[in-house]
Amino acid sequence: MKISHSWLQEYFKDTLPTAEALAELFTFHSFEIDGIDRRDGHLSSLSESKGDKIIDAKILPDRAHFCLSYKGIAEEVKVLTGLQYVDNKIDDTPLAVDESIEKINVSVENADFCRRYVSRKITGLEIKESDEYIKDKLRAMDGRSINTIVDATNIAMFDYGQPLHAFDADKVKGDIVVRSAKEGESITLLDGKEITLSSNDHVIADEEGPLAIAGVKGGKRAEVTMDTKNIIIESANFEPASVRKTSTKYNLRNESSKRFENEITPGIALSGINHVSVLISKINPNAKFGPIIDFYPKPAINTVITTSTNFINKKLGINIPQEKIVAILKNFSIVVEEKEEQLSLTIPLHRFDLVIPEDIVEEVGRIYGYDKVVGTKQEVKNSADVPAHSGFYVAENIKNILLSLGFSEAYLYTLVNKGDIEVAYPLASDKKALRTNLCYGMLKALDMNARNADLLFIDTVKMFEVGKVFTNKGEHTSLCVGVRRIKKVKGQTSNQDIRDTREALLKALDIDIMTVCTVDDTGGILRFKGEQIGVINAIDGIMELNLDALIPHIKTPSYESINFGPAAKIIYRPFSIYPFITRDIAVFVPDSVKTEDVENIITSNGTELLLKHKLFDTFKKDGKTSYAFRMIFQSFERTLTDEEINKIMETISSDMKGKGWEVR
Amino acid sequence: MHPITHTIREMYAIFHDLGFQIAQGPELEEEFYNFDALNIPNDHPSRDMQDTFWIKGQKGKLLTTQTSAIQIRFMQNNKPPFRILAPGKVFRNEATDATHEAQFFQMEGMIVDKEVSLADLKGVLEYAFKKLFGDNAEIRFRPSYFPFVEPGVEVDVKWKGKWLEVLGAGLIHPHVLKAGNIDGKEWQGLAFAFGLDRIAMLKYGIDDIRHLYSGDLRFINQF
Repeated sequence: MKISHSWLQEYFKDTLPTAEALAELFTFHSFEIDGIDRRDGHLSSLSESKGDKIIDAKILPDRAHFCLSYKGIAEEVKVLTGLQYVDNKIDDTPLAVDESIEKINVSVENADFCRRYVSRKITGLEIKESDEYIKDKLRAMDGRSINTIVDATNIAMFDYGQPLHAFDADKVKGDIVVRSAKEGESITLLDGKEITLSSNDHVIADEEGPLAIAGVKGGKRAEVTMDTKNIIIESANFEPASVRKTSTKYNLRNESSKRFENEITPGIALSGINHVSVLISKINPNAKFGPIIDFYPKPAINTVITTSTNFINKKLGINIPQEKIVAILKNFSIVVEEKEEQLSLTIPLHRFDLVIPEDIVEEVGRIYGYDKVVGTKQEVKNSADVPAHSGFYVAENIKNILLSLGFSEAYLYTLVNKGDIEVAYPLASDKKALRTNLCYGMLKALDMNARNADLLFIDTVKMFEVGKVFTNKGEHTSLCVGVRRIKKVKGQTSNQDIRDTREALLKALDIDIMTVCTVDDTGGILRFKGEQIGVINAIDGIMELNLDALIPHIKTPSYESINFGPAAKIIYRPFSIYPFITRDIAVFVPDSVKTEDVENIITSNGTELLLKHKLFDTFKKDGKTSYAFRMIFQSFERTLTDEEINKIMETISSDMKGKGWEVR
Repeated sequence: MHPITHTIREMYAIFHDLGFQIAQGPELEEEFYNFDALNIPNDHPSRDMQDTFWIKGQKGKLLTTQTSAIQIRFMQNNKPPFRILAPGKVFRNEATDATHEAQFFQMEGMIVDKEVSLADLKGVLEYAFKKLFGDNAEIRFRPSYFPFVEPGVEVDVKWKGKWLEVLGAGLIHPHVLKAGNIDGKEWQGLAFAFGLDRIAMLKYGIDDIRHLYSGDLRFINQF
């Protein structure tokens, strides 16, 4: 809800606090504020020298029953500041009725959907463009001006919270009926869009067909234009869930449907039509107002909540004196009956959020101030009394074992390109299904990290993931381990690394799993209690197994053995997304030269593009030492060229040669 | 160790000392646990507060949008009093950027006991965030709305001189206790939930949430 500071000021005799001060009050007592915007224009609040400020309030469904209106916001401000209202800001004094104007005949098919329908005809209108003041008010609400009549209905809605609709009375044929739409019936909306309705939508219709989608949008046929002379005004109350279904289905959510979806009380429909009538009479002094019809078979009744001072204080954990609690509640127009510390509260109709005693706890707490709540001192419990979660503890223990074997943990994406189970509206076609395994994600991760192996100074990529997978049989936790050797070593393969890891892991877990595998470890399966629970090296260097099948059979480790405590201090450094360039240099130096001397030449000539360097080979021969360094060059801003790195390499090697060293 | 694992462990160690045990729930969840039992009826505007991945061809099945779903499952299967901490992967059908992911981790905390108040909630969270961010960390409540708690509050944590919006919390709504087959006359509860990704990002200064799910060792190996 956009709240114009100037508009809100119209409700108060006294000067309002600044927009910023109000925003602060709202934030700590009412609702979240998304921001404050400055607007130039004809609205000028008393506290601002020029222009207006618009507070953007995020009204959540609990307060949307009454805070999607200036009246509701003004009530919050009154309670929070104690400022006095002006008299009769929302003037709903009934106007003199011209009995010569016919009564509107309305029939309502379903009173559970249409809880109230108030209507009247107004004649003798001269419709014009609204003045700049009205236009600015609508602009403040991100709306736009149509004409004096439509604008009056919208201004009244923003003030009072009751959506109103005007039809051109001369375009309405016969009686009005509020009914379910007929399957396939169509309506052309005010914006020209044509909608084909279905039987669970509701319409306002005349004998020719739909005039409006109830609570959602008016139709073109009875549109109020500059030529309109006579109108029929509707002030109704519709059932929230039905309005929501229809507005969602046709993507027609707007200011009117938003208010109905959040539920407003039918109690205000009559005042709503009286108020808009007053507004219309002011801009059309010659207008004549017909009799009001009011279909209202089940008048709303006030909720009564019984609670006590003790209950409220115990829930809040504060001691608020009863007279303070009563004062807060009365300020919200709640009728309070006290019987010692028992409170019987009659809730105003518009407060659908106040139903149970806990709602009163919140109401008192937020106004009194949550800053007054003092945290209870906490006692540390005996660790032995906290039940261990076997699945969690075993998984964390497995992570520890793999981490100690030099593996890194990954958390990869659940949504992938194919699987047994698909989501209804995927974000992208390659994220439409739930993963059936972890191994394909692991394969991609190994590929990617293998490309960065030089940068990472690793010769084997070793990773694992513990995560949920989803098949037609259901969901289970899977463990996937992946190895990728970058540097070929004779007699060692990634598949053999998987074997070694598996053996170490199973030994540490003390569990007997049958491995059925080719002699050279190029593929196999894991069996446990007669069931296949895993696959080995079906993709080279990747093993995956069903952890849930094993957990009940693995001894749960102790809390202390897992080491849950805080991590050592970690400083994260963002990394460049640009490609890196690797260069090696080997140099023969006299034995008297130290490693650091060689390193200094590399770092002092490497420029800011030298990301890191590493000594990867040393040997001695004939009183000389050979040092081989690997250097990684990378920029945070761009892709490097070979030429610029070649230049850096030349300065390094010429510096070395200058010292009489032999660059190999 | 992956920063999400670091954060889950550190949080568990803190809450374990206050007697919280781990609870877990499915990622492929039922509408009942994720919404209805949490006092979020169908066709109610509160459903808009989360964009949901519904499962194709399986009515009422979804990818869990909140670890709060675990509350109901735990209540139905355990007798109070209890204190649980439930880490879990959750899903939201929304576009991703440096601060939003379609999958992320939440951690739910819940206490059910004879008498539970907002002062207890503040005490527990003050204890936890002082342990996590240091003794200077402060906590404040702002009114908010989560259908499964009443009163419901947004919790800000002051760290390094700045107030950060970190948790949603409140006293468990009587409808939720009822859905969990717990007698609301005898038992009361508090609940809170926070994004583990957000905590990890704050704590380590991580600049992009997507790094957490990239499997990129340039990132992971720093932790």
